[in-house]
Amino acid sequence: MGLLQQLNDELSGVISSVQQSVVQIRDGRQSGGAGTIWHSDGLILTNAHVVRRDPVQIALGDGRVLTAQLIARDGERDLAALAVEANGLPVIAPGDSRQLHAGQWVMAVGHPWGVTNAVTGGVVIGVGKKMPELNVFTQDWVVADLHLRPGNSGGPMIDVDGRLIGVNTLMTGPGVGVAVAVDSVKDFLKKALNATPIRVETGKSAGAFV
Amino acid sequence: MADILHTLSNEMAAVVEQAAASIVRVEGRRRLAATGVIHTADGIIVTSNHVVERDENVRVGLADGSVVPAALVGRDPSTDIAVLRVNANGLTPANWDVNNQSKVGHLVLALGRPDSSVQATLGVISALGEGWRTPMGGYIDAYVQTDVTMYPGFSGGPLLNVGGYFVGLNSSALARGVSLTIPAETIARVAGTLLQHGHVKHGYLGVSAQPVRLPGNVAQSVGQETGLLLVAVEEGSPADKAGLAMGDTIVSLDGSAVRMMDDLMGLLTGDRVGKSVPVKIVRGGQIQESHVTIGERN
Repeated sequence: MGLLQQLNDELSGVISSVQQSVVQIRDGRQSGGAGTIWHSDGLILTNAHVVRRDPVQIALGDGRVLTAQLIARDGERDLAALAVEANGLPVIAPGDSRQLHAGQWVMAVGHPWGVTNAVTGGVVIGVGKKMPELNVFTQDWVVADLHLRPGNSGGPMIDVDGRLIGVNTLMTGPGVGVAVAVDSVKDFLKKALNATPIRVETGKSAGAFV
Repeated sequence: MADILHTLSNEMAAVVEQAAASIVRVEGRRRLAATGVIHTADGIIVTSNHVVERDENVRVGLADGSVVPAALVGRDPSTDIAVLRVNANGLTPANWDVNNQSKVGHLVLALGRPDSSVQATLGVISALGEGWRTPMGGYIDAYVQTDVTMYPGFSGGPLLNVGGYFVGLNSSALARGVSLTIPAETIARVAGTLLQHGHVKHGYLGVSAQPVRLPGNVAQSVGQETGLLLVAVEEGSPADKAGLAMGDTIVSLDGSAVRMMDDLMGLLTGDRVGKSVPVKIVRGGQIQESHVTIGERN
C-alpha cells in the first residue's frame, strides 16, 4: 500500500474515533452548532454563543435526541457546559494545548452549514493569548489554517492522536479557524463546576462566529 | 496505529522549528509587524519592500527574543524586495533552495513571525512557470504560486519545502488573490544589487506606448506582427533626444524585437542605463533606425 493511502486510512481512523463524541446542538435557530462530549455521564462542552436559551435539544451521534440543561455559561471565554441525562457516552480525551507547535497537523469536526460531522484539516498556525485579529487576551487560542463555518462552533479541534486541543469558536479569515485552547477549557470547567449557580455574562466577540 | 500521520505532523513541526532561527520579525510599519529572513550570518536580512513603510526607525526581532535596530540597505519596489542590516554576528542564515527542487503538488509551509513565536500555514505548490515581469517592471526568475494562507504579518516571510529549504519570500503585494513566492534566485540577485548599489537600476525612455498591428509589408520585412506605437514622448527624455516622436512605432531595441509592452520593459534593464543602443522604428510606413541613450528611471 502506498504511503498516501496509508496516510488517508490513518486520517479516517482518527476521525472515526472522535465522531461519536460530537453532538449537534439545536436551539431552534437555523444553523445550530456543535458540542463535544467531555464526560461520559453527560457533560457536554460548547460555545456560549451556541447556547442562547435554556434548555436546548442535543442530538447524539447514536441518533438519540435529549434535552440538555445549561450548567455554566461564560460569554467572555465563549464557553458553555451542558448536562444531559445519559451514561456511558463516548468522550474525547483532552490533550495539552501548551504542547502544540506551529506546523503540527490538526482537524476540526462539526456541522458547517448543517452538514453533520464534516471534517476540515490543516496545521497549527500559532498558539497563545495574543494573536492577530483577536481582541480577547485573557485566554489561550489555537489558530489553525482550516475552514470553520457556521455550525462548526462548539465542536472539537483534535490532534493526530484524536485528543481534544480546543473548542472551535470563530474564524478570522476564509482559511483561518480559531479554537479556545483546551487548557482554557479546563480552567473554565474547574471554575464552573465548583461554582453554581449559573454564571451568565455578556461577552465581547473577537471575530466572525462560526 | 497512526504512524505516517504522526511522522508527518512531527516532521512539519520540526521543519518549522528548525527554520525558526533564520526568521525574524520586521517592525517597519504602523500596523502589525511583518516577517523577514536572515540572508547572511553577519546581519543581512531580506524582506518584502511593502512592509518596510519607513526608511528609519526600523527594528528587527530576532529568534532569541532580542530586538535590534535595523538600517535600510535598499529597496526594489519592482520585485517587492527590501534589504536590511542589523549589527549582529553569528546569525543563522536561511538555507535557500538554490536547486529549484519544487514540483507542482509538493507540500510547502509558509512561515511568519509577526509576534514573538514563529507561525506556519500549510499548502501545496499550485503552479510553477517561467520567469515573469511584475507590473512595475521587475523580473522574477520563476513563477511560483501556492495555496498557502497568508496569515496577517506573513509578508516577507519564507516559503519552506519539506526538506527545510527556503524556496523564496512570500509576497501578497505583487498580485491580488493568489499567493506568489519570489524565488531564491531572484532574492540573491536583487539583494546582491541592493548591497552593492543601494538600489536597483531600471532603464528609462520617457515614452507612453501601446501595441499595434503592423501593416502587411512592414510586418513581412521586420518579421513580426506587432510593434509599440508611441502615444506620448516626454520632453527632454532619452526618447525625445533620440528624435523619437508621437506616432512612431518601435519594432526593436538593441537588436531585440519589441512586440509588446513587456518586451520593452524587459529590455530597459539596469545594465543598459547610459548606453547608446540601436532602436528601429516605423515612421510613415518606412522602417528607420537610430540610436537612443537609455536613461535611468527614478
